[in-house]
Amino acid sequence: MNTIFFILTSASICLLIYTSPDMILSAMIDGVGGSLELAVTLLAIYAVWLSIIEIMQQSGMSAGLSKILNPLTRKIFKGESEEAYSNISLNLSANMLGIGSVATPLGIKSVQLMDKGNGRASDNIILFVIINCTSIQLIPTTIIGLRVSNGSLSPADIIMPSLLATTASTICGIFLCKLCSKICNYISKNNKKNTDNALAIINNTSR
Amino acid sequence: MSKYIIPIFILSVILISLLKRVPIYDCFTVGIKEACKLVFNIFPYIAAIFICMELLTISGLSDIIASWMAPVFNIVGIPSELSKLLMLRPLSGNGSIALLSEIYLMNGVDSYIGRCASVIVGCSETIFYISALYFSTTSIKKLRYAIPVAIISMIIGAIIACVICRFL
Repeated sequence: MNTIFFILTSASICLLIYTSPDMILSAMIDGVGGSLELAVTLLAIYAVWLSIIEIMQQSGMSAGLSKILNPLTRKIFKGESEEAYSNISLNLSANMLGIGSVATPLGIKSVQLMDKGNGRASDNIILFVIINCTSIQLIPTTIIGLRVSNGSLSPADIIMPSLLATTASTICGIFLCKLCSKICNYISKNNKKNTDNALAIINNTSR
Repeated sequence: MSKYIIPIFILSVILISLLKRVPIYDCFTVGIKEACKLVFNIFPYIAAIFICMELLTISGLSDIIASWMAPVFNIVGIPSELSKLLMLRPLSGNGSIALLSEIYLMNGVDSYIGRCASVIVGCSETIFYISALYFSTTSIKKLRYAIPVAIISMIIGAIIACVICRFL
């Protein structure tokens, strides 16, 4: 994140110094202003949805819902706590229904619960974030609405292609995730083997 | 039809809570308190991304990168009109929706480009924003392979979207 941030900001500031240097500061301040606006709308949305989720949790509805989805989440994310499973299930179902404003706070909570506190993203966390990033929305309602308002003759035409493309990108994401975690494990194992070998050699020579 | 789903859902949650004797007023205060804490915690991350985004669009760097990427995307079958959309999509949700309306106006909603753009926006997410938020409240500093994998899968999704739109 730091590298990406550094490259993008420094490159755009260099470009702006060349074209219009007086815009730089105002653009940065505008950026924070925009984020404040977003934060206020997000606060309103989260306040409503987190309250409803709280009601669902206290009345046992979320437990019932996650019981249906739990076998699947348990299979994908091995070795997490019961609370994490229920949050993950709710997050995934909110994502499928396309209520992103519900999915985000649940997702943040799930990652918190999966965090082992060692500063490193575990394979499960990465897999979870990737599934969220590849969008598993079943019907893209926002886009269909936008197409209707732009006068499309067949706004719902994109449902099938979207579903197929989403499935493909999600499967691809899960596959790449598993591949990367295998590679990482292999590398760390090899490193360990190498250090073990080196230690053995040092021991032998010192003898 | 779809406009009734959420009201009915909320009503049924409230009715069930009545049956189970859940203190609904307390639930609302707890939920809102949680929301305040959450937004307070994630705000710095949102603000940082917004500063970056604003600089990127105002400086015109995003246009330049998009025009560099266009030939590469062309090779894999993504029309060059969509390269800016693919570049903006992982960074900003509102920005890509605005760009999508622009594409509709320029190329027509039901044209090949218009349909491709709809599917690409529909099958992807704001990757940087999501990963910044999800890791914001944790101890995690090393994201390892998360972002590259997410971007590669998004591009593969886009390629498949363009192929499918050609036939459907």
